[in-house]
Amino acid sequence: MPDGSFSHPQQRQFNPYTENGGTILAIAGADFTVIAGDTRQSEGYSIQTRYAPKVFRLTDRAVLAVNGFAADGNMFVKKVKQRLEWYRHAHAKDMPLRAIARLIQTMLYAQRFFPYYVYNILGGIEEDGSGAVYSFDPVGSYEREACRAAGAASSLVQPFLDNQIYFKNQTAAPGTSHPTHLPLPDVLSIVIDSFTSATERHIEVGDGLEMYIVLAKGRSAQSLEGMRGLQELSTRPDGDRVFVIRKELKKD
Amino acid sequence: MFPLTRADSFAQRNDDAFDAYGTYPLHQRAPHKDVFAEGVQHTQQPIVTGTSVLAIQYKDGIMMTADTLASYGSLARFKDVSRLHPVGTSTIVGASGDLSDFQYLQSRLDQLVTDEFTHADAHDLGPAEVHEFLSRVLYGRRSKMDPLWNSVLVGGFRDGKRFLGYVDLLGTTYSAPSIATGYGAYIAIPILREAVDGRQDKLSESDAKAILHDCMRVLFYRDARSIDKYQLATVTADGVHVSDAQPLDTSWGFAEGIRGYGAQTQ
Amino acid sequence: MTSIGTGYDLSASTYSPDGRIFQVEYANKAVENSGTAIGLRVKDGVVLAVEKLIHSKLLVSESNRRIQTIDKHVGLATAGLLADGRHLSNRARDEAASYREHYRSAPTLQFLVDRVGLYVQAYTLYSSVRPFGCSTILGAVDETGPALFIVEPSGVSYGYHGAAVGKGRQLAKTELEKLKFSELSLREAVMEAARIIYLVHDDAKEKDFELEMTWVGSETNGVHLPVPQDLFNEAARKAKEALENFE
Repeated sequence: MPDGSFSHPQQRQFNPYTENGGTILAIAGADFTVIAGDTRQSEGYSIQTRYAPKVFRLTDRAVLAVNGFAADGNMFVKKVKQRLEWYRHAHAKDMPLRAIARLIQTMLYAQRFFPYYVYNILGGIEEDGSGAVYSFDPVGSYEREACRAAGAASSLVQPFLDNQIYFKNQTAAPGTSHPTHLPLPDVLSIVIDSFTSATERHIEVGDGLEMYIVLAKGRSAQSLEGMRGLQELSTRPDGDRVFVIRKELKKD
Repeated sequence: MFPLTRADSFAQRNDDAFDAYGTYPLHQRAPHKDVFAEGVQHTQQPIVTGTSVLAIQYKDGIMMTADTLASYGSLARFKDVSRLHPVGTSTIVGASGDLSDFQYLQSRLDQLVTDEFTHADAHDLGPAEVHEFLSRVLYGRRSKMDPLWNSVLVGGFRDGKRFLGYVDLLGTTYSAPSIATGYGAYIAIPILREAVDGRQDKLSESDAKAILHDCMRVLFYRDARSIDKYQLATVTADGVHVSDAQPLDTSWGFAEGIRGYGAQTQ
Repeated sequence: MTSIGTGYDLSASTYSPDGRIFQVEYANKAVENSGTAIGLRVKDGVVLAVEKLIHSKLLVSESNRRIQTIDKHVGLATAGLLADGRHLSNRARDEAASYREHYRSAPTLQFLVDRVGLYVQAYTLYSSVRPFGCSTILGAVDETGPALFIVEPSGVSYGYHGAAVGKGRQLAKTELEKLKFSELSLREAVMEAARIIYLVHDDAKEKDFELEMTWVGSETNGVHLPVPQDLFNEAARKAKEALENFE
């Protein structure tokens, strides 16, 4: 052919991945952690559903947020939950948070050459009672952090968190210093502001917000009382406790 | 010379560089060649296809619709093909995309239902189970890079609860009060969200029917791979019912005055 | 028994000098000790019924079913070793599923019976295995209409209008022979089946029993199902009444 279109055979390859939008984020406090995600699922410019959860309670002290390719995300969560159940059968207790983090790394890296196309953020309470956030890349590289945003609007939210949590580009007043941990009400406000802002500026974020709150054993839940859309998910009242707050986000 | 090893005889290699005895560490060995790899074909594209499937929740259950056309590219190849398939007594499955892949899914589902029935253990499959099954099959096949080229809707009504879910060739899943595949996702969804979402508990059967009928007509006007003949399925407490194929009423009178459509006036 | 001590009964792969295979005959003995199972083939369907002997009051009622479903339209009742019966029904299910896989249509009962017969027969050929200690009654409504067969431990199979195996088969056959199968409706057949099971049950010798009854035909839309509770109760009640008036 003169245009060369048949000069070499072409191979069209099936693409096993897609992106389903949405954003997740987690912030650790001294004795609590907040893990949140929006509930919109989209493909291209279409909203598939306004309610598809991306944040999952794993144990009474661990919550996992998964973002990226939804089919991989759901399968990955299913498999993590299965491994945690096996652990419970073998050891008659829940797997500790840092062990779950390492498990997730192992499971992600096992798929190094056909990765789960998902960003994971694991939040909860460590065995020493401190709030913790672990963030992962799709092939299992991970670290413990104070806060992390991932997903479609991560480039909008992460700089905001750097400023508000790590006090980047802020100078403390003379003779004072920035706090290492913020109190729960402040963190909740920051999370809500992050999502309302991301909803304004990113088309793939919106519809609904789910904020999971994990409180260390013995910590008072007083600051949560009376909040609209609050629901407790813990299986026992005398250990670490898990709550969820569901809020509406703009749907346009 | 006699072949000394299995590797020798199979690969018929005759150069001295070939490590016939596998003496090198694994990572230094020549990559294993699967001599049959080129003989295995994977689906690269759909062939005979069905277009959109629409489904909504309403007061008594769920309602699903699809036209009866099977296209071969742009050719309207088969004009009376059913794309709605009942599974058990409380589930309907509707598919767009490759119809041979859908027929494969139909036979898998029938097998599943028969197995479940012969066990006679007082359990049967509801829509949630069928949806989970299909999503595992489709996700499994995409993970083998050999996808089943479909977007599938699963609807049902069991134990007083509605179910409506979606799964596609990538294994992507979701639930919503109204779902549409293919062009329906662009053309019907805006109409359905307006008419259905938030009103699921109030919509009567005739309301639901009218809404889907309107959507099918709009789709027929704009989707070049559609036909003016469709089936409606309902799943309620009374079970699954799939209608006969029925014609779509259309009016092209508006086009009469437009140049290029009606009788030529100049 | 004359065969004992002769050495010809130790293996299914050994004939006796007069051409018999004693292991197969012993398998038939296992069947004869079992609760009766019967099948009735009438013009619009098939009824299967089993006298399930209850060897302990501690058993959960309706457990250890002796009538199985093989395919949507096929039922199978066994007499003899329960576990052997279950193994055979699993085999029959696989055969039915494989037929569907190959031909995309429902298997005829004749096909299933041939396959199950072939399978059972294979267990009469080798010294390393034991023949099946059960006779199976298969009933269905297929494209040829209602069908009813027995597969025996030897692997032979015959078609029947009325079939009976197990302890009470002689009396059951006598009763079945009195029936006009070509005139009976499916409902009437259910009544007769219950009556015969109650009749052949020997109160004096045997412990308690449970009646198990299934049907397939026009009334079930061609699907093999347990006889519905109200009809079952009616049939059982009438069977008990008939028993009091018998002779």
